Amino acid sequence: MAQAFVLDLGRCIGCEACALACKTGNELPTGVSYIELIEQVRGSFPDLEGGFDNHRCLHCQDAACVAVCPTGALYKEDGLTRLNTPACSGCEYCVTSCPYDVPRMVDGASTKCDGCKATTDAGGGPWCVSTCPSKALEYGERSEMLRTARTRAEALRAHYPNAQVYGETQAGGLGVILVLPDDPEVLGLPRDPDPPTVANVWQGVVQPVSIGLIGATAVAAGVAGVIARRNHMAELRDIEEAEQLVGDGDSSEEA
Amino acid sequence: MATTVEHEHQVLRYRTKQRIVHALLATSFVVLLLTGLVLLWDPLGWLAAGGWSRLIHRIGAIGFLAVPAAYLILDRKGARELVYDSFRYDRDDIEWFKTMYRYFLGHAVEMPPQGRLNAGQKLHHAAVMLVSATVVVSGLAMWFFKPQLGASGLAAAAVIHDLSMLALTLFLIGHLYFTYVYKAISGMTTGWVEEADARLEHSKWMDELDAQAEAVTVGSGASSHDEVSQEDQSQEDQSQEG
Repeated sequence: MAQAFVLDLGRCIGCEACALACKTGNELPTGVSYIELIEQVRGSFPDLEGGFDNHRCLHCQDAACVAVCPTGALYKEDGLTRLNTPACSGCEYCVTSCPYDVPRMVDGASTKCDGCKATTDAGGGPWCVSTCPSKALEYGERSEMLRTARTRAEALRAHYPNAQVYGETQAGGLGVILVLPDDPEVLGLPRDPDPPTVANVWQGVVQPVSIGLIGATAVAAGVAGVIARRNHMAELRDIEEAEQLVGDGDSSEEA
Repeated sequence: MATTVEHEHQVLRYRTKQRIVHALLATSFVVLLLTGLVLLWDPLGWLAAGGWSRLIHRIGAIGFLAVPAAYLILDRKGARELVYDSFRYDRDDIEWFKTMYRYFLGHAVEMPPQGRLNAGQKLHHAAVMLVSATVVVSGLAMWFFKPQLGASGLAAAAVIHDLSMLALTLFLIGHLYFTYVYKAISGMTTGWVEEADARLEHSKWMDELDAQAEAVTVGSGASSHDEVSQEDQSQEDQSQEG
């Protein structure tokens, strides 16, 4: 069953309790953070509005990071993007490929939110959700979260006419459904991130075709090589016999 | 063309320095191929964990990059002639390509006469040089310019890198194939090959060597073909990378 978060930016007060709870609960080392609160000032003077970008992994369904990960360290599970750190090769492909600039390299390995796999597997809720004092965060079954997000956006439109749900379709549907008080561009989000087309061709076509061609050619060359070498040895024997015949010609005729 | 007793009925095909350059190319390529393959083939993915394969890949890359430099430093003449020969094809070469399938099946007899490099070797070398350039450029781009490449730039570089390696690996399979079929491994282990094999497969080259030996013989006043003891040296100069 696909799980998801709701992140209501209309309710986020930028208190950083989620970031702190995440760091503490997941025992993240100093300098590592899965959630970053960035203060945003929008509009132009005197019509200014303030808010917070709650920068974190959005758990794309069509995750570019999972597509490019060569070792399977990044993978999809329950609609969320998990990270098996020991399997990471440190190639940084995920860092370059993420449309939301999320993964970071720490000690040669990729680092990002894994949806509190350990906590939720044990039956608890994600640290950020259980801590949020303004109820900006929810966690649960995705279709239910989508309904919650829509209700909240509807309510928000009373004060913010452009309020909307973000993540219903983006990148195949996000595992963190955002309730935005304004258009995504205004909040620094791509309206529709480019699908990882080239990456899919690379991983889905080029790589299997390469492996298949190399394997098939190696087998074919092995079989053909045995036949061709036999042919060549036969022609060398013919040459040798012909030479011997010429060499023996005189003596054998005399005998 | 008899030389010393040790190499009676043999000709020197590759000088020691050429064999060193070849060994560097072969070793670095195999290291790069294997450490690259672990990223390509999912069942081997676990070997890349921790980044060791990436470190080894980069050491291999430095070795691969050093090949042209090593050739130029160790054997400038050989390097120059390799490039020169690989991009020049005469009428016999064209004819050779037309009946190439026969050579492929192990029939060297009745192939058009070939020089030091046969037409297939020339094309192989030319293709290896060109495709190596694309693999090097795309590899360096992914090594040093990942942030600048962006998501699609990285994927595009990776596609070029993978396809280049696919081509080079197929070339390698062909290279090993012909080495086996025409029992040519001694050319790269000891440097010497059987004279009879060379006459069959590279008759124009052997004619050149004969002419050279003849000139040396006449010049030194010796009469017998077999007495050319300085031939070792002259052959060293004559035979080049193939």
